[in-house]
Amino acid sequence: MQLKRPISLTLTISLLILIVSLLVAETLTVKVQSTSLRNTPKFYAPTVQSVNAGEKLEKISAQGGWIQVRTSGGVVGWVHSSAVEVPKFDLLASNKGLKTQASASEVALAGKGFNKQVEDSFRAKHKDVSFVWVDRMLQIRIAAAQVEEFMKKGKLGEFGGGK
Amino acid sequence: MSNFGRMAHLLAAFMALLFLASCSAVQQGADVLAGAGQISKSDRQSITKTSQAVSSTFSQITEEQEYYIGRSVAALILAQYPAYDNAALNTYINTLGQAIVYSSDRPEIYAGYHFLVLSTEEVNALSAPGGFIFVSKGLIRRCKNEEMLASILAHEVGHVCSKHGLKAIKKSRLVDAFKVIGTEAARRYGSEQLAQLTTAFEGALGDVFETLVVRGYDRKYEYEADDLAVKFDVAVGYAPKGLTDFLQTMIGDSTTASGKGWFKTHPSAKQRMDKAKSRIAALSSVPAEAQVRTKRFEQSVAALN
Repeated sequence: MQLKRPISLTLTISLLILIVSLLVAETLTVKVQSTSLRNTPKFYAPTVQSVNAGEKLEKISAQGGWIQVRTSGGVVGWVHSSAVEVPKFDLLASNKGLKTQASASEVALAGKGFNKQVEDSFRAKHKDVSFVWVDRMLQIRIAAAQVEEFMKKGKLGEFGGGK
Repeated sequence: MSNFGRMAHLLAAFMALLFLASCSAVQQGADVLAGAGQISKSDRQSITKTSQAVSSTFSQITEEQEYYIGRSVAALILAQYPAYDNAALNTYINTLGQAIVYSSDRPEIYAGYHFLVLSTEEVNALSAPGGFIFVSKGLIRRCKNEEMLASILAHEVGHVCSKHGLKAIKKSRLVDAFKVIGTEAARRYGSEQLAQLTTAFEGALGDVFETLVVRGYDRKYEYEADDLAVKFDVAVGYAPKGLTDFLQTMIGDSTTASGKGWFKTHPSAKQRMDKAKSRIAALSSVPAEAQVRTKRFEQSVAALN
C-alpha cells in the first residue's frame, strides 16, 4: 500500500502532462517563400495577410488539407498544409526517422545547402548558362481571382464539371 | 520494486516521452528531460548529437534547396530549347496550370509553379524540381482540346508533387553536400566549402538533367505521373480521357518510335494508354468535356498557326 501512492501520483501527473500537451496548440513553420492566409479554406478566397518563410503559426483547426492558424500578431486565417512544416515526432519511428526530422528543419531554418551563394558560384563557372528566362518565368504570376474566373468560365471545379 | 511498480514507472516514462513529442525541437526536449532528471547528461548529449547528424536522402532536400536545384535545371533546359516568347499563350498555360495545381497533392511549393512554352516542334513536356514546367509548341499542336493539354500539365505537376526529379539525384552528391552542411553553422560558406558544395550541386544538376532530357524517367514514375494526371484532372473538373486521347494520337507516331521527347522513356504510348484507360474505368464518375473549354483552347493556341 505504501508503494502504490507515489506510483499513482506519478501516473496522475504523467496523464495530466499528456492531456495538457495534447491540448497545447501545435506550432507550424512556413516553409514556402511566401503565401497568403485566406479567410476561408480555398485558394481563391480573399487574403487576410501574407506570411513568409520561417514565420511561426499556431494551429487552431484543420479541414480537408487546410489548416486554420493564428499569427503571432493574433491574425486568424487558413493556410494550405503543403505551405507549412508540421512538427512530427513519431516515437515509434526508427532512430533514422528522428534524425531526419531534426536535421531537415535545421537546414531549412538556416537556409543552408544549395542556396543563392551556391547558385552564384555555379553561374560564375558557367557563364554560358542564361537565367534570363528562368527569372522571367518566375515573374509570370496568375492571381487567384484570375484562376477563379478561368474555372468559372470553363465550368470547372465547383462551377460545373467538378466532383 | 515490484513488477507492477516497474511497469508503472515505465508507463510514466513513456508518458513523459509523449509530452516530449509535443515539443517540436529535439534539443529542447532533451534539455527538458535532463532538467527533470529523467535522463543523464550523456544521454542528453547523445540525443542532441543524433538530432544534428545528417543523413543523405532526397527527402532531406528542403523546399528552398529544391527551388535552387530547379532554377539551374530550368536554365539548362532553356539552353537546350529556346523559350516561346508569347505573353498571351504563356498566360493561358499558366492559368490552366494553376487551376490544376490548386487541386493537386502539393499546391504550395517554395516559389510556386511556373509554366513556359518551348519553341520547338519536338513533342515534349518537362518539369524541373521546384515547379518549373515546360511544354513544347509541338506538343500543344498535337492537343485538340483543353482536356488534352490539362492532362499533360497535370502529368508534369504530378512529377513535381512526387519529387521524381529529385529522386534522380545520386546519393553520393547528397552525402558530399550534407558533409559541408553538417559542419558549417553559417549561412554563407568559406571558399573551400563553397567549392565542395558547388561540385555537389553541379553533379546533382547533371543527374536531374540527364534523367529529364536524355534518359527519361523510370517507367514506374511515368505510370505514377499518369495516375496523378487522372486524379488531378477529375479533381479540377476535366475529363480524364484527355490523357488517353492524347496518348492515342501518339501511337504509331514516328517521334515516339525514335524515342524522342515525351516518349523517350520505356513505356510506350500504347502501354500508358491502356493503363490509364483501366484506371479511368475504375472511377465511379468522371467529368465530361465542355465545348466552352475547347473553344477557348482553340482561341488561345491560334497564335501557333
